[in-house]
Amino acid sequence: MTGESQAITQNYATAKGFCITSAFWMVVATFMGLLGATELMAPDLLENVGWLVFGRVRPIHINLVLFGFVTPGLLSAAFYYVPKLLRTDLYSEKLGKITVFAWNVTLVAAVVSLAMGKTQGREYAELIWPIDMMVVAAFSLVIINIIMTVKQRREPILYVSVWYVCAAVILTAITYGLGNIIWKPSSGALVGIPDAIILWFYGHNVFGLLLTPLSAGVTYYVIPKACRAPLYSHTLSLWGFWSLLVVYTHIGTHHLLQVPVPTWLKVIAIVDSNAMVIPVMAFLINIWYTAKGKLGEIHADIGAKFVFTGTIMYFFVSIQGSMMSLPDVQRVTHFNNWVVAHAHLGVLGFAGMIALGGIYYILPRMTGRPLYSRLLAVFQYWMILIGTVGFTVVLTIAGLIQGNAWLNGETVYRILPQIHVYYVTRAALGLMIFSSAVIGFYNIIRSMFFSPGETS
Amino acid sequence: MYYPYFISYMVAGLVISLVVFIWALNNGQFKDQQRARYLPLKDETDEDEPPMVRAKKISRHETYALMFLAFAGLAVIAAVLFFALLKGGQP
Ligand code: HEM
Repeated sequence: MTGESQAITQNYATAKGFCITSAFWMVVATFMGLLGATELMAPDLLENVGWLVFGRVRPIHINLVLFGFVTPGLLSAAFYYVPKLLRTDLYSEKLGKITVFAWNVTLVAAVVSLAMGKTQGREYAELIWPIDMMVVAAFSLVIINIIMTVKQRREPILYVSVWYVCAAVILTAITYGLGNIIWKPSSGALVGIPDAIILWFYGHNVFGLLLTPLSAGVTYYVIPKACRAPLYSHTLSLWGFWSLLVVYTHIGTHHLLQVPVPTWLKVIAIVDSNAMVIPVMAFLINIWYTAKGKLGEIHADIGAKFVFTGTIMYFFVSIQGSMMSLPDVQRVTHFNNWVVAHAHLGVLGFAGMIALGGIYYILPRMTGRPLYSRLLAVFQYWMILIGTVGFTVVLTIAGLIQGNAWLNGETVYRILPQIHVYYVTRAALGLMIFSSAVIGFYNIIRSMFFSPGETS
Repeated sequence: MYYPYFISYMVAGLVISLVVFIWALNNGQFKDQQRARYLPLKDETDEDEPPMVRAKKISRHETYALMFLAFAGLAVIAAVLFFALLKGGQP
C-alpha cells in the first residue's frame, strides 16, 4: 500500500445507479407525503380507496424517504468517494449494479405490500418479513463491496468519511435485523414493553447510525474539496466519530419517556441524548472551521451549498433533539406535530439536503460534463430550503397548540379545527417540495444522459 | 438477564466497536493525522474535474423571478399565520 496518488479507472456505474434511484424515489416519496398531508387537511378525500388511506400512505412515505431517497443519495456519493479516498477502484462495479437492481426491486415490493395493507404495524419497521430479508440482502451486498474496497486500498490511512461509511453500513445491517426481529417471521415483534424498547433502539438508529454517519461522510468529503482546503482537524473528526458511536447507539429510549420502561434506561437515554452535543459540535466545528473564509467557494458550487446548508440544519435539529429528550419538555411536545417538525428538519433539512448536495457535487465529476442546469438546481435548493423551514415553523406552532391544549385536559379532536390552517399551509409547502423533486429528477436525468455540455 | 434482546444488541455494538477500535490503534490509524487532513484533496486527477465551461451568469431577470417566488412563498406563509392568529385559529 502506498499513499501516493494513483490513477484509478472508475466508471461510476454503482454511484450513478444509486443517484438515479434516489432522484426517482424522491419524486414518489414526496408525492406520497403530499398525499398524506392532503388527507390530514381533508380526511374524507380518499376514504373509500383502501390502498390510499392515510394508514397506508404514511408508511409508504416514510419508508420511501428513508430507503428510497435519502439513503441511496448518500450511498451514491459514498460509492464515488470511498474508492477515491482509498486510491483504488471499487471492489466490483458489477456487484454494485446488482445491488442497485436488488435495492429497487425491494423498494417496489415495499410499496406494493404496504399499499395492500401488508404491514407489521411497527413504526419504521412496517415491512413484512420477506421484504425485510430483501433489505438485509441488499445491505449485505453494499457491505461486501465497501469492505472489500477498504481491503484492497492503496492508501493506508482511512479518512474519516470512510470510517463513517463503514460504521453506517455495518451497524445498520445489525440494527435492521435485530430491530425488525427477523427471527420471528410471522409477527416481526417481541411481546410487550421489550418490543417497544428494541423497536426504538432500531428506530432511532436509522437516523443516528445510518443517515447521520452517511451524511457526515459526504460532508467531510465535499466541504474540503469545494473549499480546496485541508480538513481543519482529522483528529477532531475521529473524536467526533468515536464519540458518536459511544453515545448515539443507545439513546433510542428517549422515544419512550412516557412509557413504563425501566428508569435506568431512560436515564441513559436522556444523559446520552444531551451528551450528543459532543459529537455534533466536534463535527460542526471541524466543518465550519474548514469552510472559514471560504463561503464564496461553497456558494459557487451548488453541491457544496446543499451540503453546507445541511450542516446548519444539523445544528438546529440536534440542539432541538437534545432538548426534546428532557422529560419536562417532552411532556408538551410528545405525540404531536412538534415531533413531525423535528423529523422533517432532520431527515429532509439535514440528511436530505446533504444527499442532494452529494449528488450534485459528484454528478458533473462522474459524467465529465457540467450539470444540465445549474439554475434548476439552485431553484430546487430554494424550494427545499423554504419548504423545510416552512414545515418547521408551521408544524412547531401546531404542535405547541396541541401539546398545550392536551396538557390542559382538552380532547384530541376538539383541537383539530384550531390546527387546520397549519395543515393547509403544510400541504402547500409539501407541494413545493414535491415540485422541487420533479425538477431535480429532470435535471439529474438530463445531466446524466442528455447534457450537451453547456451550462444553463 | 432482564431484557436479553436489547442487552445483546448493546453488547454486540460495543464488542464490534471495541474490536475495530483496537484494530485501528494497532494499525496506526491514529498516526499521521496531518497527512490525513489532505486526503480528500489528493484524489484529484485532471479528468475528474468537470471541464471549466464558463457558466453563463444567471440573468438578472431569472434572479428576480426566483427571489419573487421565494418571497411570495414566505409571504403566503406569513399571511396564513397572520390570518390564523387574527381569527384565533377558527376556520
Ligand atoms: C442530538 C441529536 C438528536 C436528538 C437528541 C434527538 C432526539 C429526539 C427525540 C427525543 C425524539 C422523540 C420525540 C418524541 O417522541 O417526543 C426524536 C424524534 C425524531 N428524530 Fe431526533 N434527535 C436528534 C437528531 C435527529 C436527526 C439528525 C434526525 C434525522 C436525521 C432525527 C430524526 C428524528 C425523527 C424522524 C423523529 C421522529 C420519530 C417518530 O416518528 O416518533 N433526529 N428525536
